[in-house]
Amino acid sequence: MSNTREVISSGNELAALAAVDAGCRFFGGYPITPSSEIMHTISDLLPKRGGVAIQMEDEIAGICSAIGASMSGVRALTATSGPGISLKAENLGLAQMAEVPLVVINVMRGGPSTGLPTRVSQGDVSQAKNPSHGDYKSITLCAGNITECYTETVRAFNLADRFMQPVIVLMDETIGHMHAKAAIPTQEEVEAGIVTRKTFDGPAEEYKPYGVAQDEPAVLNPMFQGYRYHFTGLHHDEMGFPTEEIETCRKLIDRLFRKVDEHVDELESNEEYMLEDADILLIGYGSASLAIKEAIHRLREEGIKAGLFRPITMWPSPEKRMYELGQKFDKVLSVELNQGQYLEEIQRAMGRKDIEKLTKTNGRPFSPQDIIDKVKEL
Amino acid sequence: MSRIVMRFTGVGGQGVLLAGEIFAAAKIKTGGYGVKTATYTSQVRGGPTVVDIQLDDKEIFYPYAIDGQINFMLSVADKSYQLFKGGVAEGGTIVIDPNLVYPSDEDRKKWNIVEIPIITIAKEEVGNVITQSVVALAIANEFTHAIDEDVLIETMLSKVPAKVHEANKKAYELGKKYAQEAME
Repeated sequence: MSNTREVISSGNELAALAAVDAGCRFFGGYPITPSSEIMHTISDLLPKRGGVAIQMEDEIAGICSAIGASMSGVRALTATSGPGISLKAENLGLAQMAEVPLVVINVMRGGPSTGLPTRVSQGDVSQAKNPSHGDYKSITLCAGNITECYTETVRAFNLADRFMQPVIVLMDETIGHMHAKAAIPTQEEVEAGIVTRKTFDGPAEEYKPYGVAQDEPAVLNPMFQGYRYHFTGLHHDEMGFPTEEIETCRKLIDRLFRKVDEHVDELESNEEYMLEDADILLIGYGSASLAIKEAIHRLREEGIKAGLFRPITMWPSPEKRMYELGQKFDKVLSVELNQGQYLEEIQRAMGRKDIEKLTKTNGRPFSPQDIIDKVKEL
Repeated sequence: MSRIVMRFTGVGGQGVLLAGEIFAAAKIKTGGYGVKTATYTSQVRGGPTVVDIQLDDKEIFYPYAIDGQINFMLSVADKSYQLFKGGVAEGGTIVIDPNLVYPSDEDRKKWNIVEIPIITIAKEEVGNVITQSVVALAIANEFTHAIDEDVLIETMLSKVPAKVHEANKKAYELGKKYAQEAME
């Protein structure tokens, strides 16, 4: 991004600002630590920009109101933490099936269940891949610093409209609450980059929202503008009406996959940090990458050349690049604040099992020393 | 400037977060890097709270203070003091409110423990207990010389409501005075 502005803020506040700058005009949610500041901030920002923020009666109503707002053509957001995603899961599935664009931010805390409300974790990475039952292809982005709480939220809104489905932005307690300097794109720059969802502007009687190419998302015109369609979580035909017709059902799920799979190049995003001359490959994301970067600097002072590969788009995973890196590096260490949820994906993508892991699930962040000690053991 | 690492501890509701925010913002204003990270518990009020502040001319990646590298800590609650004192480097300075924090004799050997009745100063001399975070701010800056005083005061005033500017200026002056006396 060429035009930036410097702000002093927290990850949660920047996510809220990003949503509004990206054209979000509806927020429906329910407060939950450690994501509540997103709701606080957006409740202040949205009315000033002609939008609406509602505290609903619970997490489920939060996502349902956002789905409804989105169906009227408005960019909509809900934000929560892991327990809230569990409650929203059914309706995340509905939005996948009916192809409703939506951004869902999950500021991760310790789990399972209510877990450790004020403590950091990355335990919802697997959940983000398949929060609801059934077959569909999740799009999940993960912010690795407070600047990305802004930029990835903006990107999530554009991707949601492009692929017509929910996009999850993973943050975590550390990043949500850390307060520092960030260089973010200007509002004008963000607005210039907005690509809103496609609409059909032919005769209403020819409108077939789900009658699209096999690698394309549905075209859902805003409700109440004369273009009718049926809305359901059931398998449906090109007009959205329920059907069990064999070929239609097959094609629907096939398309939900192919609309993403055949355009992964539009989704891929990752960071390679001090990797060029590295002997040891570290893989980590979110706030863990902050400790990793600090550790890399200190290891290099001692002559140990480590580098970082950091997926920003988590799902679909950067499998091609991970495969290449798996061929190049002998020593690979996966670092995550869970018991190894992404490790499985790294193993799958690299086609090898000998990946070392460093995990932590006590609600505390990694310290750089944790990582330095582990690297020296390799 | 080498990295300055400070830790403020208290209990939820005391306002220890604000001083951290002011330090970080003031450092950034001078073109450097400042990071403030708070850790708290699920207890809404009264739970131990810790704020780590790191200030540097170089980029700061890791947002938490690393145990053993903290040069300065300030504490206004005993349970937080006991929980978080371990991170302070040996010989480092810990400013405590003696009415609320009770260090052991061993602690006094290990660290330079300075007693300043922060809450009492705010409550009785400034006349507004909320200004304790600004008293703490002044004390911390006197001990660490982290930020140019004018920049710090200007940043502080930009973060508090105009109607309490005078009270907070007074709080700053008092904090500075008590810190200087404590150093004599």
